[in-house]
Amino acid sequence: MATNCVCINIEENGLRSVIGPNGAGKTTFINIVTGRIPASSGKVFFQGKDITNKPTHELVKMGICRTFQITSIFQKLSVFENVRIAKQARLGGTLRIFSTKKSLRKVTEETWVILERLGLQDLAHQPAKNLAYGDQRVLEVAIALAGDPNILFLDEPTAGMSPAETRHISKLIKGLSEEISIVLVEHDMDMVMSVSDKISVLQYGSIIAEGKPEEIKCNPQVREAYLGKEQ
Amino acid sequence: MIDPTSIPGEEKAASLAKIIVPAAIFIAIAILPFVLKNRFYLSLINEMMIFGLLAMSLDVLLGYTGLLSFMHNAYLGIGAYIVGLFLIHVSPTSLWLACFVGVIATSLIALPVGWVQVRTGGLAFALLTLAFGMMFFTIVWKWYSLTGGDDGLMGVPSPEVHLFGWHLGNTGDPAVMYLLTLFVVSSCYVLTRRIINSPFGAVLGAIRENEERASFVGINVRRYKLYGWMLACILAGISGALFILYKGYIGPTTMSAFAGAGILMMVLLGGMGTLWGPLVGSAIFIYIQDYISTMTEHWEIYLGLVVIFLVLFMPKGFVGLGNYLKRLRKG
Repeated sequence: MATNCVCINIEENGLRSVIGPNGAGKTTFINIVTGRIPASSGKVFFQGKDITNKPTHELVKMGICRTFQITSIFQKLSVFENVRIAKQARLGGTLRIFSTKKSLRKVTEETWVILERLGLQDLAHQPAKNLAYGDQRVLEVAIALAGDPNILFLDEPTAGMSPAETRHISKLIKGLSEEISIVLVEHDMDMVMSVSDKISVLQYGSIIAEGKPEEIKCNPQVREAYLGKEQ
Repeated sequence: MIDPTSIPGEEKAASLAKIIVPAAIFIAIAILPFVLKNRFYLSLINEMMIFGLLAMSLDVLLGYTGLLSFMHNAYLGIGAYIVGLFLIHVSPTSLWLACFVGVIATSLIALPVGWVQVRTGGLAFALLTLAFGMMFFTIVWKWYSLTGGDDGLMGVPSPEVHLFGWHLGNTGDPAVMYLLTLFVVSSCYVLTRRIINSPFGAVLGAIRENEERASFVGINVRRYKLYGWMLACILAGISGALFILYKGYIGPTTMSAFAGAGILMMVLLGGMGTLWGPLVGSAIFIYIQDYISTMTEHWEIYLGLVVIFLVLFMPKGFVGLGNYLKRLRKG
């Protein structure tokens, strides 16, 4: 898969969705921006700084966090530890080799705040692998949030979720977008149309349209490429 | 209401049984040389403790960081040779200085090796440990003028042991050596346990569970793998220092791939990811080895059979057996 000519300006705060047919390069776009795969050409800028091909852990420190299309969590660790380790990596104290985890008080407290916000506090002691699929997806968002992101990339967060779970998570995402920028890759059109502030449409690795949800709905090019021709 | 400073699963960290049981084991091992007059068993337990420390250091890599080292005995060997050479050529009486130099030198050698190794992952990492291990083996085997080659390093002096201003005796005395080993190994165990439960240990655990996710929460995975590797090699170097003091001799076979496989077996026998499991695994392994070798000179064959049996029927090692029995009792 490849992307070319993807020029997206993402504003501070607000929710930008990236949609497009399968194989359009949506995930590739996220992978390049978040440093998962190297860019062969082109540039990525964040807050005016060139961040092209920087190591992922440095990007996270700048506040660029993400979730994965295929759930990526620490399976055998507890739900609490999943979020705690992300918080610790963000706040520091990782080189204290003779202290206890408890001694990092701020890390523990902020972990509880995130778990409560996402409604995972009652599952805190469970190993992550014991969670229902939908809860694992929410946990992944919790891990990403623990990195205190300025911009959060969500790669199909509702894939495989029940309608109730989808409603829960879209409400959550909408709430978050008032504090930070969110880039959402999603197949659920109802969700995209209801939560997005702006939508970019990708096809064959290029942007073919950009605008508010209503504009995208009416755009004939998009209708043809993505939503299907009218009968 | 949730206490915002509590960590789930760590509320009952200081239960009484967790302190009493290890303390009782420690005291039992410590009074043994005063009760048991059979020097042979003292030596056997001494060896179990030294290799237990090495197996425990491998567990830091395998069980806690998720990295496989085929020849961790190489770093026991390096530590042992350097301490031995220091005692022979520099100062035959400075016990602690020799150990210090040995451990520092081992870590200086392990650093560039680790730097190369962490740039790979999974199988490639494991194969590199084998390649470097073979290289170190060949160096000590062929560098006759320094290491004694095939004959091994002989005539290592036995320095006097002073512990907290207290004169224990000479390392040539099995009881003295036994107490020194017990002191060093149990200190290493307590410290390593502490490190594993620290925020640093939590990072190693995250890398073991999911390397990619770890880097996407902001962890510099390569750097922390290197720290884990260095911790494991320093502990291995300490076990090497004890080894040369205990034996007064080391040959290249201690650094062979065959011996390396043995260390790996100790970890698997005991149960990895527990720290104390490998100590038990080392005791089982050395006991079986000793027991079978009194009956036949082809002891490796029978040891292999025993290990195959144990791996097939106790896949989680001795620790797994304990958990199984616990479940059985609860119904």
